[in-house]
Amino acid sequence: MEWKKLGKIFDPADHDLANGCATHAQSPQAVVFDDFVRVYFSTRASDANGKFLSHVAFVDFNKDMHTILGVSTNTVLTLGELGAFDEHGIFPISPVRVGDRIFAYTTGWTRRVSVSVDTGVGLAISDDQGLTFKRQGSGPVLSASLHEPFLVCDAFVRQFDGQFHMWYIFGTVWRRKTPDTPPDRTYKIGHAVSEDGIVWRKEEARKIVPDRLGEYESQALPTVIQIGERYHMFFAYRESFDFRSVKGRGYQIGHAWSDDLVNWTRDDDQPALTGTEGEWDSDMQCYPHVFACEGRVYLLYNGNAFGRDGFGVAELMI
Amino acid sequence: MFRWKKLGKVFTPQEIGGRPWLKEFAQAPATLMFDDFVRIYFSCRPPADENAQYVSYSAYVDLDRRDLFKIRNVAEAPILPLGGLGEFDEFGTYPVSVIRHEGRTRAYYAGWTRCDSVPFNVAIGVAESDDDGRTFRKLGPGPVLGYSQNEPFVLSGPKIRRFGELWYLYYIAGRKWKVVDGRAEPVYKIRVATSPDGLSWKREDRDLIESRVEEDEAQASPDVFFANGRYHMFFCYRHSAHYRGHENGYRIGYAHSDDGLTWRRDDGRVGIDVSAEGWDAEMISYPHVFELDGKIYMAYLGDQVGRYGFGLAELEGRLV
Repeated sequence: MEWKKLGKIFDPADHDLANGCATHAQSPQAVVFDDFVRVYFSTRASDANGKFLSHVAFVDFNKDMHTILGVSTNTVLTLGELGAFDEHGIFPISPVRVGDRIFAYTTGWTRRVSVSVDTGVGLAISDDQGLTFKRQGSGPVLSASLHEPFLVCDAFVRQFDGQFHMWYIFGTVWRRKTPDTPPDRTYKIGHAVSEDGIVWRKEEARKIVPDRLGEYESQALPTVIQIGERYHMFFAYRESFDFRSVKGRGYQIGHAWSDDLVNWTRDDDQPALTGTEGEWDSDMQCYPHVFACEGRVYLLYNGNAFGRDGFGVAELMI
Repeated sequence: MFRWKKLGKVFTPQEIGGRPWLKEFAQAPATLMFDDFVRIYFSCRPPADENAQYVSYSAYVDLDRRDLFKIRNVAEAPILPLGGLGEFDEFGTYPVSVIRHEGRTRAYYAGWTRCDSVPFNVAIGVAESDDDGRTFRKLGPGPVLGYSQNEPFVLSGPKIRRFGELWYLYYIAGRKWKVVDGRAEPVYKIRVATSPDGLSWKREDRDLIESRVEEDEAQASPDVFFANGRYHMFFCYRHSAHYRGHENGYRIGYAHSDDGLTWRRDDGRVGIDVSAEGWDAEMISYPHVFELDGKIYMAYLGDQVGRYGFGLAELEGRLV
């Protein structure tokens, strides 16, 4: 298997988005409709103090994944209330069809004092084909627990054989590189199951994907697809220190496969997605989302600067 | 109506020296019985930092079993260190509730972290002791009861109980942050979860005690005691705004239940109120009821939510 890169397909600067959002189109995630593909992403506005707030938006593509049909011009999902886990942003949002409805698993952000942020996984449901979502309770459906102390986020949910599976990440440690630098986080991919998509049973801190960069590899945004009899997971991984500025320490796309949804074999090179020198994804490839459409398998992903300038797509050649 | 005879203040943190982490406050008393003394856990604070912010620790005082006004020992160190960087209990461990279990002592406690838009958030952790409750170690770095869909923040005030084969955790869950005079004030309600092992919890996911003084009444310290065929709960409640004084401050309420899950509030029977003068004239809060040598006692906090310590009252008559 290998990826055929089709280039960048969306730049938020080219569109008028709701909530005053002007930059970033992070973590694109697709819902396929009869005539188009709706891609949700998180985009950013600034609050009164100049701090970022991530909002949910979407763009509709023709099924060639190239022609843009339109973007959301209204609020898709409001931010959380004062003190709630999703008060300061929703990023990412992961939609999945459940019967006639669309469930969206959100990562809510709330600002902390000693560390920059904590997160939780919320559930919002759409009954209007994904135009708007309504939050189900003001708290999270998945949050920190005894052995997953913080930063539970990046949920991706699919049903296989009648069971809901969630892949997500949990924080393992906050560390400072030097005593006067802000703390950086390390997180790993975990797994939970559910009968209804609402009440979840975690494997509780089992790290389901082996590390490539060692104990302090950060693994983010798992996405899973079944191809034939085998399940494939793509995710982003990076070093925990100096990942923003030092090329080679930032996000790359990882891959693992499983035949039983329990044991995962890591194989980043098969297929590998590499950056193209001089292009929008030269320094970084992150926030992958894999989906099938018209018999093809696509990978949406962000490039340099964590998706500040949009996202692109690649097609899997099997 | 119950008749509680006030015995006076039994512990004053300002009188204890040599412990910089125990300067003031002795909040949320909770007992553990020994042959010849009663260990009362409480939560206390060192002086506020340069930004006027506190951390809180939990500790204990041992009172003579034959004379509860005789202090035999005070903890030399907090029973539990604060949590690590970014953990839920990085800035406080308050309150704590302890229980004996299979030769060990287990503590459930509320861990505090600091937030940006609101002053704090709280979740419930669990720790165990192998030395009769002098020191505890966390069973994991995260909370044993954290935020959920309908309990979005401020999970606090744990009271651990075992009735039959089942563990019961009574606690409070935040309902909303209400902005009063530009300051975010938490509103919380009393809840319960049950568990076969004390680690995996099933929430009832509903308020146990109807609100009385206002819809946004805040309720705390759900202290449950089984006696005479019935579950009794003493708790405290306050108004949502301007509650740091006499008028809207904490009072103690009462409810009863036949199964520990469904409760009927009946504050008219509580039988304890603020005093006309003295250490508990402004407010009374954080009740804890315990039985000792045939008598029923209530430990509770006085003015400024226990800044100057806690006292005792003794029940005259039966808890029926």
